[in-house]
Amino acid sequence: MGNSMPWGPNLPDPWKPPTFEPLYGFPNGRKERVMIATEEEMRMADVPMEHRDFCAHLFIKWLKCRRDTFPQGSKCKHEKHEHDYCKFEDQVLRMKEYEREKRLLARAERKRKKMERRPKEELEE
Amino acid sequence: MLNGVGVKMASLRRLGLCLRHIKPFISNGRSVSTSRFLQAEWNKDWKPGPYPKTPEEKAAAAKKYNLLPQDYEPFPDDGLGKGDYPNLPIVSEEARDPYENWDMPEYRRNYMEPMHHFQNITTEDKWNPNAKPPFPYPTMILTLVAVVSGFFVLFYLTEKYMPIHQYAMPRQYPYNNLYYEKGGEPSQAIPVTKCYTFEPAEK
Repeated sequence: MGNSMPWGPNLPDPWKPPTFEPLYGFPNGRKERVMIATEEEMRMADVPMEHRDFCAHLFIKWLKCRRDTFPQGSKCKHEKHEHDYCKFEDQVLRMKEYEREKRLLARAERKRKKMERRPKEELEE
Repeated sequence: MLNGVGVKMASLRRLGLCLRHIKPFISNGRSVSTSRFLQAEWNKDWKPGPYPKTPEEKAAAAKKYNLLPQDYEPFPDDGLGKGDYPNLPIVSEEARDPYENWDMPEYRRNYMEPMHHFQNITTEDKWNPNAKPPFPYPTMILTLVAVVSGFFVLFYLTEKYMPIHQYAMPRQYPYNNLYYEKGGEPSQAIPVTKCYTFEPAEK
């Protein structure tokens, strides 16, 4: 999903968090992401570290369903799909963040070039 | 043969001699064979003899191994226990003619042919020291090194200038990027990280 070969200057680093202010460009601010499962719940359910994200409550539900219906794990299709869809939405949000970072980097580059050009024009005048 | 052990040993030897006479009637394998080597009875009988020093001993050893005296050349007496075994030129089975009418086609060997000391590693599925390489060995090794290092160079260049990854930022985790779960100390100042959606907040 989205595997690609980025080509060109000023591309964001996908291994590091965004470098720009998260609220930059949002005059009223942004809605915070809602975390439903508490740390205690995740610890009690022994959720793996990579799943202790904003979909952890659905992951816990899926684990519980699998435990209750063992060995008929196929009865938890609904729970699994809900968790997968939450992960998909998370991926979409991360891709949006990438696009935001990319556009802001391009904007910063445009502004830098404009600043470079300005003194020359002043000198010519 | 004055003590009791000697008497016992002598009686055992006599018993063994009697059994040797009875043996051909019991087992037919050895008695039918006309091979001189197969008349050996125990592992010590398969051992090579002592290193030949005089020409007479050398001739006797050559006759023992079915070799002409001018072809016989023992291994050097370096204390490794090869004795009078002949140092034959190494010819692997793969290098021998597959269309010749061998007595033992599976080993490409004729009956009573002397065996090389390392015959077991030159069988058809193993080492072929007589193989003629299609290219000289330094050329082949250099080609291998060039190809493999070329792959490494391509990997390095593509990883540096054409990285492949997702068009996505790293995953976001709650609770200050899982500060406590990753072993953070509560006494220190917690680095606050907030995660936002793209919906603008209401006024």
